[in-house]
Amino acid sequence: MKKTFPKAVFSCYEPVSDERIRSFFAGDDKSFQPLYHFERAQVVLSLDSDFLLTEPDSAVHAAKFAEARHIENPGDHMNRLYVVESGFSVTGGMADHRLRVQSRLIGAFAAALTLELKAQGLRINLPVKFGELYGNHSFDRKWISALAADLVENINKCLIVGGPHLPRPVHELVYMMNIALGGIGETLTFSERQDTLKPSHYDSRIASLAKDGKISSLIILGGNPAYNAPIDWDFAEALKKIEHSVHVSQYLDETSRLTEWHIPQAHNLESWGDARAADGTASIIQPLIAPLFGGRGKVEVLKLLATGREERDYNVVRETWQTILGGGDFENRWRKVLHEGFLDGSASTSVTPAAVLDEISFPTDAAGITNPEIVFRPSPALYDGRFANNGWLQELPDPVTKLAWDNAALISPRTARELNLKNGEITRFEYEDHKLEIPVWILSGQADFSITLPLGYGRTSAGRVGNNVGSNTYAIRRSEAPCIATTSRIYGTGKIYIPANTQDHNSMHGRPIIREATLKKYKANPEFARELVEHPPLKSIYPDHDYSKGYQWGMVIDLNRCIGCGACTIGCQSENNVPIVGRDQVSRGREMHWLRIDRYFTGGIENPRMVHQPVACQHCENAPCESVCPVAATVHDKEGLNNMTYNRCIGTRYCSNNCPYKVRRFNFFNYTGRMSEIVKMAQNPDVTVRSRGIMEKCSFCLQRISRAKLKAKKEGRRVADGEIITACQQACPTKAIQFGNINDIESEVTRWKKIDRNYELLAEFNVRPRNSYLAKISNPNPALISDKPVAG
Amino acid sequence: MSGETAHIEPPLAGGVQTLGSITEKISSIAERKAPRLWYLAFGAAFSLLLVLIGSIGYLVFEGVGIWGLNNPVGWGWAIINFVWWVGIGHAGTLISAILFLLRQRWRTSINRFAEAMTLFAVCCALIFPAIHVGRIWVVYWMFPIPNQMAMWPNFRSPLLWDVFAVSTYFTASLLFWFTGLIPDLATFRDRAEARIKKIIFGVLALGWRGGNRQWKHYELAYLLLAGISTPLVLSVHSVVSTDFAVSILPGWHTTIFPPYFVAGAIFSGFAMVVTLTTIARKIFGLQDIITINHMEKMNKVMLLTGMMVGYAYSMEFFIAWYSGNIYEQFAFINRAFGQYAWAYWIMISCNVFVPQLFWFKKLRRSIPVMFTASILINIGMWFERFVIVVSSLAQDFLPANWDYYSPTIWDISTFVGSFGLFFTLFLLFIRFLPMISMAEVKGVLPQADVHYHEAGGERG
Repeated sequence: MKKTFPKAVFSCYEPVSDERIRSFFAGDDKSFQPLYHFERAQVVLSLDSDFLLTEPDSAVHAAKFAEARHIENPGDHMNRLYVVESGFSVTGGMADHRLRVQSRLIGAFAAALTLELKAQGLRINLPVKFGELYGNHSFDRKWISALAADLVENINKCLIVGGPHLPRPVHELVYMMNIALGGIGETLTFSERQDTLKPSHYDSRIASLAKDGKISSLIILGGNPAYNAPIDWDFAEALKKIEHSVHVSQYLDETSRLTEWHIPQAHNLESWGDARAADGTASIIQPLIAPLFGGRGKVEVLKLLATGREERDYNVVRETWQTILGGGDFENRWRKVLHEGFLDGSASTSVTPAAVLDEISFPTDAAGITNPEIVFRPSPALYDGRFANNGWLQELPDPVTKLAWDNAALISPRTARELNLKNGEITRFEYEDHKLEIPVWILSGQADFSITLPLGYGRTSAGRVGNNVGSNTYAIRRSEAPCIATTSRIYGTGKIYIPANTQDHNSMHGRPIIREATLKKYKANPEFARELVEHPPLKSIYPDHDYSKGYQWGMVIDLNRCIGCGACTIGCQSENNVPIVGRDQVSRGREMHWLRIDRYFTGGIENPRMVHQPVACQHCENAPCESVCPVAATVHDKEGLNNMTYNRCIGTRYCSNNCPYKVRRFNFFNYTGRMSEIVKMAQNPDVTVRSRGIMEKCSFCLQRISRAKLKAKKEGRRVADGEIITACQQACPTKAIQFGNINDIESEVTRWKKIDRNYELLAEFNVRPRNSYLAKISNPNPALISDKPVAG
Repeated sequence: MSGETAHIEPPLAGGVQTLGSITEKISSIAERKAPRLWYLAFGAAFSLLLVLIGSIGYLVFEGVGIWGLNNPVGWGWAIINFVWWVGIGHAGTLISAILFLLRQRWRTSINRFAEAMTLFAVCCALIFPAIHVGRIWVVYWMFPIPNQMAMWPNFRSPLLWDVFAVSTYFTASLLFWFTGLIPDLATFRDRAEARIKKIIFGVLALGWRGGNRQWKHYELAYLLLAGISTPLVLSVHSVVSTDFAVSILPGWHTTIFPPYFVAGAIFSGFAMVVTLTTIARKIFGLQDIITINHMEKMNKVMLLTGMMVGYAYSMEFFIAWYSGNIYEQFAFINRAFGQYAWAYWIMISCNVFVPQLFWFKKLRRSIPVMFTASILINIGMWFERFVIVVSSLAQDFLPANWDYYSPTIWDISTFVGSFGLFFTLFLLFIRFLPMISMAEVKGVLPQADVHYHEAGGERG
């Protein structure tokens, strides 16, 4: 391209960029991708990093992290996680120790920790005056010293991760510490990136050149800068000065509406392409379907621009791979890569970049009531806003706030008190002439005077689903402070707007719902989870079902592995044709998710801990729903499943009232009646699409069970263990869900059910759920354990 | 009833009544032109009935989502209204059947009235379970109708018991009411001047001539029907209570429910009878037939049953504490002090405190006091069902599910509309049928005593 257009300017803008974690090394021309090996880390410290959910490669991180946390016997080891953060993230929820620190102070915290590590005997070369500048801090000294001691004790087996939104010097310091702690090559490796274009928050060249009238034609490949560029670029205004502009995009979005031309881009599932994973492994993107709306692949557009030739993306990709795979026997090797999905052995070799320590300086003054800090974070569901037109994601409750279809400024209870803001009060944020109105949401565990503003909402041209949902927080996002910022004024407008949320009550009220213990207590009493509840002998007046022949299905969910991300909810929704009901219905408490994630706070109001529990139909053996249905629409089957007969259901809702878990979902309206043809095509043909007036709920993915049974029958064998994977189990990044035949004593699910932490929720009511949970274990530092769980 | 007993028991009809005056007074209500007030009332009631029809129409068209229901609150106003109307429908058959069996002859002047009220209240009640289901068009699947799909209802479900209990109760009440009407219908037939009336009342009177054998059979039939109806009074609300008691929900799962519900039903039923009779006796000048003594007796029943429900309220708390079950304990503490505490205290004030007024004879015999109290009791009994249905569902086992339920305009319009149905039927009843049992009132007049003409003679 550069050859074809020598005068062209190439720029890559990324609203949520992780550039700072990979480009602070010596020699600015290269960037290095850090690869975290959580599975090898005994002690992990996250500095404002939500590595388990909203950051790149989070699914990989979550899987590896869960591996290091997995325990099956009291003798097993598990890792320990310290989190220092301003907002409350899913990662913070998994922490054994969590410290609330404003994002602007994370650097000072890292400096204080470095000094403490040095004091505890670690060799770190620090600039002079470092101790003078950062030694006198107000962080919890006992916490830092216990953390440092823990890190030093686990040298070579610990890992410090910094959030990608933190300034570059923090990452330099984090890297220094990782080197000093011997993590390089063990828990942290790097692969060299060969980006031609580095994504950046900061590259404002296009906007400034356009304003000066120096750009005659602009081609925007993907992205949506008219919506998400920093407000001071004034991208929309800049675009007007450009004579010809083209937007190649999957959606007719805010940017497409301003450009002269819009080229419909085919979706990744409709086009050929290739990509590299974080570790450099090359893979081929293969389409699942021909472009539905005649879109063109990105590769095709680039090829056309560079060569002037129109070429099918398939041919372009093959051409590229001919150079990668070499000439000999290309066809076979190409097919092998297509079959496997990636090219084995193509990962970059691990490199150790040289560290630099610039003149680093960190703010040490905390934000207060007059100048609260603002932290822009990507939405866990919509990310930077690109997924705003996806109803599944809009309706997925935020794992922490449980808000759906809305974003809100997240503030701590104390901040709300001192700023005199009520929950749901529409609050105005002003910076120069830029204004944002957004409801506030009081979130326990948020650092005081640190306000999290989730990105990705308030789209105006996202589509039928995503338009005008929530508030557009880009409205006050400036290029010089894209992540951690301040405003000139914040005040409540007195108007109340309660965003739709799926959980009103955050406390377990002392009930044994999510059962947890520290590792120490678990070792002392491995049966603690079951012993938390006393009940009379559980006897039923009805005879037991006979399962001596055939299968008997069951599920176990390991709360120690679950991070609460909600991937299971979406997996289930897509598998089981669960309808999207919209903001109004969600705010009325009518969301249809068959599998929901309950989130509770434990501990104090200001600084609690967070625990998650996925809850779907528990497929009770003595199901309270079955006996009360007047028309026998919900019945037990021979394999222990509690089935819904949709056609038989008349919708008395008694089953739902009598369900102690409240996992049944009722079609209050005809939610599926007005589906467009394209949405109809997206429905799973193996699952009935439900209509108005009937009850539905988790079926343990009955259609998958049937398919596996049919296959086994044809092949004259029994269904093998692991052959049936439920949609939630498949989607879970941490493998927290186990499903199978509990008649089979060899099966994985049976093995899990025998783990001493296994308990059944509300078993004291003799409902005998087939779904059970493995109690959550935390692993606090004994040096900090006498304190309250978290010091803030 | 004369002689000695007359000193203890005041006469059951006031003024100077003869057998003829009773016939004249009661028949003439249906025979003369209706008063303007009747037309006004009928207009208002019929308008409300149209509101009901409109609300149900929209419900069928759109779905039960138009109501305020949510997850976890799967039942709301519809079920509350159902239980409330069924409760009101209790006094009628109770007054008729049980008081008949117990030879409480003071019932005669109000029994017809109360029976009609029962029937119309049960009509209103029956609407709600039918329309509250998700798929109204297949609600008949609740009945055991043999069909080619080999589907059969689930007899373990209390909702099915409900179907049988309430429909049996309705059928028995209807027969009981109609049987009681036969002699009076014959009177109407005999007095009718228009040919159409002669035919209609002639058919309805089933050939009644008032002969000795007819009376013998009639009284035996009536006695048998009373005997059949009596257990039904107790069973129907016991069964309705099992809709809740059979579940596992804290606040519903309670063995006290059947007697507690029956007491509450009688309580609210009498309250409704008092409300209606105070109006009717005023409008139609029936003070001599439905005397203040009758009203006082009903107030005494309300005092008694009010205290029974008060006892049940406190006993629920005791059991919740005594059970040691944290879910149960929470459910009850939450009722009194949680998000629905306002509803709970309306219930307690109306159902427990208000009836205490009737300890005082003066208040017991004051029409304005009893009218106000009866309305408050009806409100209180509605809130009792609200508290039971909603507060238990809204906050049950897992706090993550908890939600707040509030009704929509359609919940309210359907409930208000059900009064339209009730009053339309009631006004048609008092317009066209004998609202007081002439034959039975005559039976309690002194003239009916076989020894009436022997001054000072004992009753035979």
